[in-house]
Amino acid sequence: MKRCLIVDDSRVVRKVAGRIISDLQFDILEAGDGAEALKMCRENMPEAVLLDWNMPVMNGLDFLRALRREEGGQDPVVVFCSTENDAEHIGEAMRSGANEFIMKPFDADIVASKFQQAGLV
Amino acid sequence: MQQETYNDLSKLVRKRSGQDIPPSKAYLMEARLAELARREGFANLDDLVRALRARPNVVFEAEVAAELASKDTQFFRERDLFDRIVDNFLPKALERSDTGNIRIWCAGGGTGQEAYSLAMLLAEAELSGATGRQIDIISTDLCNRSIEAARLGAFGHFDVQRGLSIHRLLRHFTRLESGQWQISTAMRSRVGFRRHNLLEDATGLGKFDVIVCMNTLSGMTFDARRTALANMSNQLTTEGILVAASSESLSGLVTGMQASRDFRGALGRQAGANTITIAA
Repeated sequence: MKRCLIVDDSRVVRKVAGRIISDLQFDILEAGDGAEALKMCRENMPEAVLLDWNMPVMNGLDFLRALRREEGGQDPVVVFCSTENDAEHIGEAMRSGANEFIMKPFDADIVASKFQQAGLV
Repeated sequence: MQQETYNDLSKLVRKRSGQDIPPSKAYLMEARLAELARREGFANLDDLVRALRARPNVVFEAEVAAELASKDTQFFRERDLFDRIVDNFLPKALERSDTGNIRIWCAGGGTGQEAYSLAMLLAEAELSGATGRQIDIISTDLCNRSIEAARLGAFGHFDVQRGLSIHRLLRHFTRLESGQWQISTAMRSRVGFRRHNLLEDATGLGKFDVIVCMNTLSGMTFDARRTALANMSNQLTTEGILVAASSESLSGLVTGMQASRDFRGALGRQAGANTITIAA
């Protein structure tokens, strides 16, 4: 089964997103910030990453740029998931290597649609 | 909502738009009419229907029926189908066309997502070929409120995230102060929106090479479905196609139509069929 790493400092968001994404036939991994997520990716690269923007220690954008520089770091499909949802922020995320972008708040239909757009399901 | 209110509304919507709202979906009536009832000063649907009974008003009845017939539409709801129209059918249709012009009708197009999906695909496809050709898209709906919303082309947070990729959102939309996303002037200028009741003759709309009618006929009574399908079919060009959602079966409802040879899942005119009529 494919694995999806959910990176968000909110335990509630990780739990809600985890339920939705596990219904899309993914095993779920969780990280509370970008640094923890990067460490997990170095150990075992997931197929998908759902990524928050604002987090302590290392934010989503810095994580994404670092991930894409890692060996094998081009492979995961990264879906940004943020409240920073104006065109400038979205554009910056996409230029930094994101494959799709979910604007919070989200529901199961949106996650499924975005994962489909990104070729994950 | 009282049973007699449901009965009256059910009868009204069947007569005016052919929609069939079974008792199990009575909640849709409350959801779809809540705003209208509030706007007109009624405390609830029972009061609204009581007023209609006491003072029948044709214009208000039509408005009620249109609101009841409103439907949710979605960008790229059947992406494969839209891709096949633009990538496979239209290039051939353009080659066949004497004038180089093609007309597309999104029937029962709601708030415009289907028509705008096609407009976006056409804009993207033109980069690799169809430049100089005129492809007109018309979207019709029974509900004036839906037509107005479609013309404005401003969609909410949830609407733009279902079926629409972030790349298309950034390319074709602008975020408004309200938080809504408005589709570009270029896309809005590609689509014409008109009010039309599918139960009525559609000669005035002209002929079409492609008619897309998704998730509309399936919500109608059997008789209304046949009438609407015949009305639409009569507006198809000889080589045109009528496309419904993949879950909708349209076979056997009218005479003179058959499965299209050019487009899997669509209907086309039988050779020599001048007028499409309701099947016996």
